[in-house]
Amino acid sequence: MHFLKRTLRRLLGGTEALLSRMYGWKWNPMHQAGTVSALMLLVLVATGLYLVMVYRVGDPAASVARIAADPWLGSWIRSLHRYATDIFVIAAVVHALKMFSQDRSWGPRTLAWISGLVLFGIGMVLAVTGFVMAWDSFGERLAREGGRLLDFLPIFSEPLSRIFAGDGEVPSAFFFVNLFIHIAMPLGLGVVLWLHISRVARPVLLPPKRLAWGIVGALTLVSIVRAAPLGSAADPLRLVSTTPTDFIVAWWLPISEKLSPGMAWSLALVAGIIAVLIPRLTRRPRTASWAPSVVDPRLCTGCNQCPQDCPWEAITMVARTDDRPTLVALVDPALCVSCGICAGSCAPMGVGPVGRTGRDQLQVLRTETLPGLAGAPVMPLVAITCSQVPSSQVNAVRALGAHIHSVTCVGNLHSSVVELFIRNGAPGVIIFGCPPRDCVGREGPKWLQERLFNDREAELQPRVDRRRVRIGTMAPGHLAGTMAAYNAFVRDLNQLDAPVRESHVDIEIECEPVPYEDPSE
Amino acid sequence: MTPLRMVSAGLTTAVGLALLAWLSAIPFPQHASNEARLRLSFSARPERIEVCRTLSDEELEKLAEHMRQRVSCEGVLATYTLRVDVDGKTIGESVVRGAGLRHDRPLYLLEDFPVPPGEHRFRVSLIRREKTDNDAAAYAQAVVPEVDTGLYAGRAQREATEHARRAGAAIPPSLVLDTTFVLPPLRVALIRFNSERRALELYSEGSSKR
Repeated sequence: MHFLKRTLRRLLGGTEALLSRMYGWKWNPMHQAGTVSALMLLVLVATGLYLVMVYRVGDPAASVARIAADPWLGSWIRSLHRYATDIFVIAAVVHALKMFSQDRSWGPRTLAWISGLVLFGIGMVLAVTGFVMAWDSFGERLAREGGRLLDFLPIFSEPLSRIFAGDGEVPSAFFFVNLFIHIAMPLGLGVVLWLHISRVARPVLLPPKRLAWGIVGALTLVSIVRAAPLGSAADPLRLVSTTPTDFIVAWWLPISEKLSPGMAWSLALVAGIIAVLIPRLTRRPRTASWAPSVVDPRLCTGCNQCPQDCPWEAITMVARTDDRPTLVALVDPALCVSCGICAGSCAPMGVGPVGRTGRDQLQVLRTETLPGLAGAPVMPLVAITCSQVPSSQVNAVRALGAHIHSVTCVGNLHSSVVELFIRNGAPGVIIFGCPPRDCVGREGPKWLQERLFNDREAELQPRVDRRRVRIGTMAPGHLAGTMAAYNAFVRDLNQLDAPVRESHVDIEIECEPVPYEDPSE
Repeated sequence: MTPLRMVSAGLTTAVGLALLAWLSAIPFPQHASNEARLRLSFSARPERIEVCRTLSDEELEKLAEHMRQRVSCEGVLATYTLRVDVDGKTIGESVVRGAGLRHDRPLYLLEDFPVPPGEHRFRVSLIRREKTDNDAAAYAQAVVPEVDTGLYAGRAQREATEHARRAGAAIPPSLVLDTTFVLPPLRVALIRFNSERRALELYSEGSSKR
């Protein structure tokens, strides 16, 4: 499973890098796959509302042919509906593969994974029923195959396939039921989508406006320029040589048609079971870098910052068991994904995954990193990098003389680490994170920006010269951008005075909470 | 976004959209141009094969009043041998029976046979396998008119009518269609059961029957 994950990650990384080169990382649609599929659902609802008004259950093929022949509205709206379906399927698959390859498919994310599978399944049923609605040769082919598969199950008293045998008109009831499924299921889709995002704080449902309009505009353009073709009207007593097949939706059709219904169902069942078991098969022991966050109640001041910053709503404030009047943070390990963002939010450094709290980070710096750099005649520029960024770019920055300090997520980085580097004489600290919409911890780059430059707890102290601190993005395929950001920072640092190394820096003590004294005593 | 990037983004989008449009409607082969089909499709009620006997007064006494029926029939639905011959060669032979776990539902038939286009002689037969009487005949044999008096007045006649109606709506013991016709390429010749004529019939768009 891990080999599969690594291979997939390499493949997706290559595509992602290519797209970053073409679009720039800010507009890379692969970083937005989940939100793109949600956007497509909106497009499908909007275009579907028009189509359902002009669709006739009593004469489906003729009504769709009429829609397709209307050059002003029907043709491009129908095509947009069709292409949006295709993009939905592609985006949903990419989203799922990314989650799988990034180890984001188990533990607290199990609900999201399972509900995502259900969403995809509903989406596929909707897509197939949509094609059947058109009742062209492709719709008929899908209906026949669907009938063949369903007849294997003991559901219908009379075989469904007989509807398409040709010994009578296909009953309107069939198209009515098909239409009903096509319209009713999106309501279920809404409920499952809510479940899908129910465990994340501040869910982002849509891509940035520019990208969203860009995608919708491009799809509208292709819908106008090349309307989605419609096959010949379905006729049960005529065989067709070829059907214009949408392989994005009906990728399974060539396989299914070659198998017996029993074999096709067995294959689908096995695939379904494996997909459902992915959270179980990919889960990691909750130790080391997967250990959930813990709270040190002695240090917790009850400031309520970590519950606000946690992207998974895994932290709540509860009553203390000692006599201090504040609340204390409590982490639910079943919801914690070990992103470590809480560690970066805590001024007194009392919360975080074991080994990655602010205090642990400073400890590593003092005992390992800084002694290692002490021998250097001049303290090098420090580049703090997220462990998820491309190693080739990290090596390129290292080759330019920077000291690389790796963290699991830039959201995990405590601002005191930056301060400690600067006060120990580093000329500057540049922090390279993932593209904000592609952060494994969801909100790492966002909170880092706020903490370092906008005084969000745990803020970088005013005593630190902000000109010596910068945030960059290391996106796959964007080496030039990384180099440009690094070189620009070096140029800016050269304008400043030489850094000063302080002889003694004791940040933890400065951050220690004031012991509580009861005023009544 | 730099002008160069705008160009590269535009090109990538164009290629992506072209790929999308292509993948969305690939002509995918379904049938060879020299292919045609013979399709058998119908649903009908099989005959009910019954054994009937007249109950004695003692036997009737043991039954609840509303259950007292002089002639008691028990039976199952008939099974049939389906045989399809094309130009004298058997291309399909099977036993067909009523649907459902107990085979007490109507019989549904849906089978496709690939046949090369052209003129062919088709012979389709559906012959009942059971040699015993159907329900109407069995009932007629068992009923004793003289006991149809008193409480049971008129019931025997009603039952006989119902049994006859059921037998009349069911598939006859022997159905045979023997015909020659020209089957054009990429066409389906459909053989169905005409419930009014109680006979198999051929239906094919564009076929010329001889």
